[in-house]
Amino acid sequence: MNAIGRTAVAVLRNGWGILLLIIVWQAWVTAMNFNAIVMPRPLGVLQDLIGFPEVYWKNAVYTIGAAVIGLVLGMALGTGLAILAWLSDVLEGMLTPLTVLFSSVPVVTIIPIVARLLGYDFSTVLAIVVIICFFPAFVFTTSGLKALPAGADDLFRVLGARTPARLLRLALPAAVPNWSVALRVAAGHAVLGAMIAEYLMGTAGLGYLFAETKSDFNMERAFGATAVAMVVSILFFAAALAVERRVKERWN
Amino acid sequence: MSRGGANRSGPARAALGIAGLLLFLCAWQAIGYYRLAGLSWPPLTDVIALLADPERWPLLGRALSATLAAMTAGYLLGIVLGLGAAVGAHMFPIAHPGTDRLAAVVNSIPSIALGPVFIVFLSRESTAAAIAAAHAAFIIYVAASSGLAAASRGHRDLLVVLGASRLSRLRHLDLPASLPSLSTGLKLAVPAALIGTIIGEWFGAPRGLGVLIVNAMQNFQIALLWSVVVLIASTSLALYSALSLLERACYARFA
Amino acid sequence: MTAAIHVDRARKTFDLGKGKSVEALAGVSLEVRPGEFVAIIGPSGCGKSTILRLIGSLEEPTAGTVTIDGRPPRELAGAHRLGVAFQDHALLPWLSVWQNVTLPLQVAGVKPDDAKIAALIRLVGLEGFEKARPRQLSGGMRQRAAIARALVLGPEVLLLDEPFAALDAVTRRYMNIELQRIWTESRITTLLVTHGVDEALFLADRIVVMSGRPGRIIENLDIDFPRPRMPALMRTPAFHALYDHLADLLEPAAAENEPVAGGGES
Repeated sequence: MNAIGRTAVAVLRNGWGILLLIIVWQAWVTAMNFNAIVMPRPLGVLQDLIGFPEVYWKNAVYTIGAAVIGLVLGMALGTGLAILAWLSDVLEGMLTPLTVLFSSVPVVTIIPIVARLLGYDFSTVLAIVVIICFFPAFVFTTSGLKALPAGADDLFRVLGARTPARLLRLALPAAVPNWSVALRVAAGHAVLGAMIAEYLMGTAGLGYLFAETKSDFNMERAFGATAVAMVVSILFFAAALAVERRVKERWN
Repeated sequence: MSRGGANRSGPARAALGIAGLLLFLCAWQAIGYYRLAGLSWPPLTDVIALLADPERWPLLGRALSATLAAMTAGYLLGIVLGLGAAVGAHMFPIAHPGTDRLAAVVNSIPSIALGPVFIVFLSRESTAAAIAAAHAAFIIYVAASSGLAAASRGHRDLLVVLGASRLSRLRHLDLPASLPSLSTGLKLAVPAALIGTIIGEWFGAPRGLGVLIVNAMQNFQIALLWSVVVLIASTSLALYSALSLLERACYARFA
Repeated sequence: MTAAIHVDRARKTFDLGKGKSVEALAGVSLEVRPGEFVAIIGPSGCGKSTILRLIGSLEEPTAGTVTIDGRPPRELAGAHRLGVAFQDHALLPWLSVWQNVTLPLQVAGVKPDDAKIAALIRLVGLEGFEKARPRQLSGGMRQRAAIARALVLGPEVLLLDEPFAALDAVTRRYMNIELQRIWTESRITTLLVTHGVDEALFLADRIVVMSGRPGRIIENLDIDFPRPRMPALMRTPAFHALYDHLADLLEPAAAENEPVAGGGES
């Protein structure tokens, strides 16, 4: 009883906002007597989710695939370029203003351009995710490579460390905490970016499912797709957050 | 030897930055001119020509002002919501964990899914502003929450010993201490609100830059498509830079 | 195996930008014989750390020369033959004590000899803490690890830049006794920069006193207490007499800067 009571209190403390949101939604739809075509009820969405899991499952795999591959490629590109910039002062000087420029630009708006360039298929979705993940990876890794522990740079110079040793034993390990922040930021954006791209020009995936069902007025399934995307996005974010916590613990 | 830590002088850095920028623009022009990326990549000069053409100005101007109006409304509403939630959670600590979770969940709702909801609850015209507000509110909430927790323990203890009420502690300590973090949030919320506006406009707003983008994409008006994106990017950059100045002032004064 | 240091009329000015500059060292000459332990004391901003940074190849002199065994310090650093410990321990937080101590060997591309590392960790009294990370250690233990790291290459010159300044007075005194024990076993040419008059007296063969800005040497004092030195030395009248003499030399500049008596804080 006591354990159950404590769990209930914990759920309430943490989840009251979300519960409230769902209750208000259900109450609003009931009170206004909305047609399910206009605004589905939470229970109806739940029924569709349980009733047709394979529809959601297939599209979720597609979106997760785009998000994971894009995340890996984007992080790799951003990290790689940050290392190159670390190695070359000239490259760094040339890239810094450009990245400041681009990181303040709404990336989503270039989706139509990428679609025109790459066509209306998976590669466009992937390219968007890569671009979205690239910027945090580059920006955070660049600053991480310079966030050295106090005195460490002097130490390495007195020890006569050459560039490879300074990169591998000092700069790269020092950049790991910042890099994990980039991973968290990028992971959160990867799923949502993939979904927007799929919505605009995809041929499969949760965003595509949303677009299709919405235009068929199957709002319960459209909201189901949204719910699945939210869960996936939160799982991505939570996984990256767990990585970040572990890294911070180890790196102090 | 000085890899990764060299401090170049200001002018040298500026020269390198300008060189990088020029290189980028030249690459853009070359790719477009020689059709290296096909017909969908226009030369830079085409885009500039379109943007400089006075006949296009009424079209672009109407779209820009519609987008800016929606964005500003959403941005301000987002500040009110985000700051309100953060202050509320700060004043009533028992509500804090729940507010955090709610904010995280709302933030993970795909913005394209917010569109239909807002269209039902609000109207087509105000959907863009509503999505912008949702985007901005989350960033402001996170920035304000961490800012409100930024005051040092010593200062907080001092005010408690002086017998300050919760409200006067908020006014005299926590709010001023939160300004640097909040100013960063205000800056970051600009591109986010702009993205929200554009996505909102894709849901059938009557006018705006987002509408123009989709039309240009569908009608194969490549130069127009790129011009609108450049216009959005410049708008974002200008507002972002302006708020960077505010941020710098805040850090200089309060941090 | 151990080297001599020659600093010949070394000057160092730092450019502050906008046409301004500050002179940190005004023509300092200093000889350190092989196997000698020299301590440099002086008020804050007297350039004592600058001398150490010149010898450590971290700075180049504006004028004059700095050589170790007739060669520029950069060459010795490149050959991985310098040992160094700073005021902030500069241990890498993501490495264990063992890994931190072996780091200089890895940087030098030398295969670590486990028995030698274990012996070194024992020497500095960190046995049993090999797997601990820096944040799990006390301030004194971190400095022990930093000193083990400074010694691991078997360096020809040991540079110590206020290694114990961040420690409390009791730990600091204890670390002085330990350092003197460790140093007596290795007898490396050592340059110690410190605020602490008692620390310098207890450890050094010779004390160089510097005056404030621009830095110049105002006293060169041989300390010939026999070794090994015991803590009881610090209670002898001879020790106190030298202490008072040095404290007087530091007085005019020190009065407005920091307390020197009682070991002085950082």
